[in-house]
Amino acid sequence: MTATAGRKRIWSYWRFYLALSPFYVLFAVFGLYPMLSTIVLAFQRWDGLSARRFTGLDNFAFLIKDPTFWQALENTVVLFLMSTVPTLVLALVLAVMLQSAVRFTNVYRIAYFIPNVTSLVAMAIFFSSIFSTNFGLVNAALRSLGIPQQDWLGQPWGIKIAISTMIVWQWVGYNTLIYLAGLQAIPKEQYEAAKVDGAGAVRTFFSITLPQLRPVVLFTVVMSTIGGLQTFTEPQVMVGNSGGTGQSGMTVVLFFYRAAFLDNDYGYAAAIALSIFALVLLFTAINWRIFRERGENR
Amino acid sequence: MELSRRTLLGGFAAVAGTMAGGALVGCSSGMDAGTTTKKNAATELTMWCWPGGLGKSVLDDTIAHFPDPKIKYSEIGGDFKQKLVTTFNGGTSIPDITGLKGEDIASLLPQADRFVDLKTVGADAVLGDYLEWKVKQATTLDGKVIGLPIDVGPTALYYREDVFAAAGLPSDPAAVAEQLKTWDAFFEAGVQLKAKNPKALLVWDATDLYDMVVGQGTERYISQDNKFIGDQDHIRKAWDTSVKAMTLKIDGKTPSGSPDWNAGLDQGTVPAHIGAAWVALDIKSAVKTGAGKWRLAPTPSGPANFGGSFLAITKNAADPQKAFDVIKYMLSPDNEAKAFADAQIFPSTPAAYDKPQLKAADKFFGGQVPIDVFGPAAKAIPVAYQSPYDDSVAAPFHDELKTVQSGAKTSDAAWSAAVSKAKAIAKRQGVQ
Repeated sequence: MTATAGRKRIWSYWRFYLALSPFYVLFAVFGLYPMLSTIVLAFQRWDGLSARRFTGLDNFAFLIKDPTFWQALENTVVLFLMSTVPTLVLALVLAVMLQSAVRFTNVYRIAYFIPNVTSLVAMAIFFSSIFSTNFGLVNAALRSLGIPQQDWLGQPWGIKIAISTMIVWQWVGYNTLIYLAGLQAIPKEQYEAAKVDGAGAVRTFFSITLPQLRPVVLFTVVMSTIGGLQTFTEPQVMVGNSGGTGQSGMTVVLFFYRAAFLDNDYGYAAAIALSIFALVLLFTAINWRIFRERGENR
Repeated sequence: MELSRRTLLGGFAAVAGTMAGGALVGCSSGMDAGTTTKKNAATELTMWCWPGGLGKSVLDDTIAHFPDPKIKYSEIGGDFKQKLVTTFNGGTSIPDITGLKGEDIASLLPQADRFVDLKTVGADAVLGDYLEWKVKQATTLDGKVIGLPIDVGPTALYYREDVFAAAGLPSDPAAVAEQLKTWDAFFEAGVQLKAKNPKALLVWDATDLYDMVVGQGTERYISQDNKFIGDQDHIRKAWDTSVKAMTLKIDGKTPSGSPDWNAGLDQGTVPAHIGAAWVALDIKSAVKTGAGKWRLAPTPSGPANFGGSFLAITKNAADPQKAFDVIKYMLSPDNEAKAFADAQIFPSTPAAYDKPQLKAADKFFGGQVPIDVFGPAAKAIPVAYQSPYDDSVAAPFHDELKTVQSGAKTSDAAWSAAVSKAKAIAKRQGVQ
């Protein structure tokens, strides 16, 4: 085949390339370009209005020494664990229950999914009322049980519980639906065979349901990792831009927001953003490894 | 700003996308020093402000008063400063006249060359009409004035007359003003109130109080010659005052605007609040049962200022002189009095305090005339230099004070952590 023939062949597909181009054009403008300029910005000092100044690795050097960054990193990981683990466990339990429910299944599905499509800001305001000290629902319940009320949004651990409760509430339904879809793909014969062999519900769950769901679980874990490491709106609305008492609600994205839009330190913010990116990559890789290897060893 | 979650590409893009606000903008402005010389067209006078920033009747009247060129007003919601900065960087559609918020003005002073020095268009003739300390906020160190004040936010002590009386405290505004003159006297009253009425805590939130005390001083965190002074006595005094309220256990730990604060105002468990003139609107909307029982007294140890904004003219204005005529007209004492009647925008011109709109008695405050408290307060606010980095440097002090409030740290440990964090931030910004 000659070179001209090859080129001709490529050009003969121009209609297909044209059809595909909107995605690539949009991605280049709104995805690739901001990403590349962020990388450039991370090596510069910029207050948003004056001239940019190239400062080499200064932003990263400051980042490593900044105690607030490490605090934010710790908070983010703790919040991620406190919200993701209960979310996925609850979602799995609910999905199995929904699978075996006979009546009103669709009603439940919709009910569980509603939190996921509700305005996050509105819900954060609602949750901060629920957890408020003197007139909050949670404390009212504690009082009626004779337990002293707690200053939920004024204590480091209280802030974390309040924020992760909200994340759990929001994402359980979403993950339930994904698990449910996964469950329905498991062949009925396997369950029938298990029944014939006399396996109980628990045995069936651990020997058939869970192994078959492994790819779906991997998907939800990866998605939760990406989302959980970018927690922002919940703490921002519930405890403000400072992250609340002891900065215990300060997540890395909130820290990034504060650096960029409150301190007008855009170069530093870009460096923080790159660190979030690295963090997400790292966690995703870890998840991938754990779940895939287990799958192969089986 | 909301981040997309749980979609692989979405998550990937979100990392980049959150930065797009800064980054996209950044590159379009290029590397130039930032003085845009491209003038707007002279056919229209564009004006930007945020919702509720200007009185409606004043705005309508001004638009009618200046038919040529026609004023085109845009109300910009959301993060106003961010949108203004983005537009500056974009280089097109920059308004001729723009509002600037009080909390943003310090960080915009280094950008004075993007704005018209109002002294070059005849501001000298009117600057004397405005509160001196407020004009100073919009004045650069080399004497350029970039904004004419719209409003100010002098503070006062709001309190429940009936709750005070029931606890044996003075309840008449004059008597309260006489007795609660200093923070010590105020705290003493708080202890007395708590003894009689354990649910009523006089200090709504001690960390809020800290900002009040800082605002009462003539120095803040960074001095005029760009030195860090946040570790000095004036800040430590504010810190200790706040901590004292905590140790006396008269700290209600209810930040203003929180659900507890709103409910407490209504039910009498937040019997007092110290806040700017505009807080009256928040209190009025929170209170359903106690209307008529609230009163106003001067802030213990003297007034501070919270909020208050400016109108500025950008270098892009085709006719700065005409633009100045417009803002001079809008912000005349007569119009400021009207804006107060419209939307409680507290005038920055003392002459307005004698106008009938401000002299009106307020039923919510039991027929008290609020201007009798706020007027003298506005005139007595101390002049403090505010550095562009003031807010960034102040943040660790707020954060650490909260750990004292929650009992997680001792006052001294939190103080030294706050100072060292603030110093690091200041150093990064080039403060000595």
